[in-house]
Amino acid sequence: MIALVRYLAADVLRGQRFLAPLLVFLGSLGMLFAYDPGPQLAAFSGSAALIYPIGAWLTVVVATSEDVVRREITVVSAGGWPRVLAAVAVTAVVFGLAFAVVATVWPVVASPRPYSFLQVLAGLGVHSVAALLGVGVGLMFSRPVFDSIGRTVLVVFGVVVMTYPLGRHTPLGWVLDALGDNTVTLPILWAGLIGFGLVAGAVALGARRA
Amino acid sequence: MRRHGEFGYLGVVLLDQVSKRYGRGPWVLRDLTLEVSGLTVLTGANGTGKSTLLKIAAGVLKPTSGRVARPASVGYVPERFPSDVKMSASSYLAHMGRIRRAAATDVLDRLGFVGSMTAPMSQLSKGNAQKVALAQAFLATDVLVLDEPWTGLDPVAAGELVEMLQGRTALVSDHEGHLADATRVDLAGGHVTIDLSRVVGLDELEALEGVRSVVPRGSSARVVVAPDRSDHVLAEALRLGCSVRSVR
Repeated sequence: MIALVRYLAADVLRGQRFLAPLLVFLGSLGMLFAYDPGPQLAAFSGSAALIYPIGAWLTVVVATSEDVVRREITVVSAGGWPRVLAAVAVTAVVFGLAFAVVATVWPVVASPRPYSFLQVLAGLGVHSVAALLGVGVGLMFSRPVFDSIGRTVLVVFGVVVMTYPLGRHTPLGWVLDALGDNTVTLPILWAGLIGFGLVAGAVALGARRA
Repeated sequence: MRRHGEFGYLGVVLLDQVSKRYGRGPWVLRDLTLEVSGLTVLTGANGTGKSTLLKIAAGVLKPTSGRVARPASVGYVPERFPSDVKMSASSYLAHMGRIRRAAATDVLDRLGFVGSMTAPMSQLSKGNAQKVALAQAFLATDVLVLDEPWTGLDPVAAGELVEMLQGRTALVSDHEGHLADATRVDLAGGHVTIDLSRVVGLDELEALEGVRSVVPRGSSARVVVAPDRSDHVLAEALRLGCSVRSVR
């Protein structure tokens, strides 16, 4: 599994398609934290809202980095679709967690307010949950569930956009709600579990569809 | 050969009554039974399902119905290796070796690879990219599944590939007749499936002319035969003392 994740990560990094979500992410963080972003935990709400679509975008990049034919070779080499899909999920989660670290550390360094260790830990947790939700959405509609990249982009974009107006009726809404109140609440844990379930469900669905 | 569970053998690809259709489209393969235990060549006109069968044998595609047994280590070369790969050949082969936990092979040297191992594979010629595709497939230890593997190879490399395939278990699509000595399966020619009971003399059955595969199931067996030899095989099966349950 580690060898497969290393290969997929190397392929993504060489392909350069990851640069677009990375630059949008860094540019948006720069704007969010250019001035005092407010109370410690509330400051994370903007970046948590941002990392969700970026996580979905990056996951589509990871899932479609190999073209169809090379993916077939990888599937045969790895011993089947389930292993490759699990490795795609792990790779996307690793990238998502790296983005979560950046989103957590940035305000700690840039903000004039001091952050306690627990607040940093909470920030890492909420960013990871939001990234996990994005990874789940990205995986759920990527190859091999949808073969066409156009359809994948449209559906993932649609789901991501629809998430925001639904507010507290979605797991992301629970996260943002708690951060808006400058607290960490139990629903964030439930959102994390739903994110994990989305990722696992997407892997299972992909293995079934392949 | 060692038995591999109830169905199939180690080192052998076994397809039993395999059918495939894409969505609600027409059937690409219908009730195909095939045992690949040596060098086997698939022939047939375009659109007869050769690539689909190879993908099913390799584990890329699931059959719509039927069963497939294959060993753990299968090497696969698709019909067209992609030309826009940013990764270098050395990096790609190193990754594939790690994924398979396999040691590097001398396949590239034997095939006469002359491109840069460190440049992106997108800069390689078609023939050299094909040699990289073959090199990753030969990392597999059990079975090779190769779709038109001679595509883009020069005559020397093509001859070397024929040499390298001798003694291996491989399922190969071959339009150009490179593997004259291999068992040939013509997908366009169809087949007859004979279900036998009270089977005795499996080895004699397998040795009969026109028999493509024999899949034993306890005291019964399913025998797949070339259509023009089915009468002869039926007569021989009866002579051996088998009972005929069905002929399709």
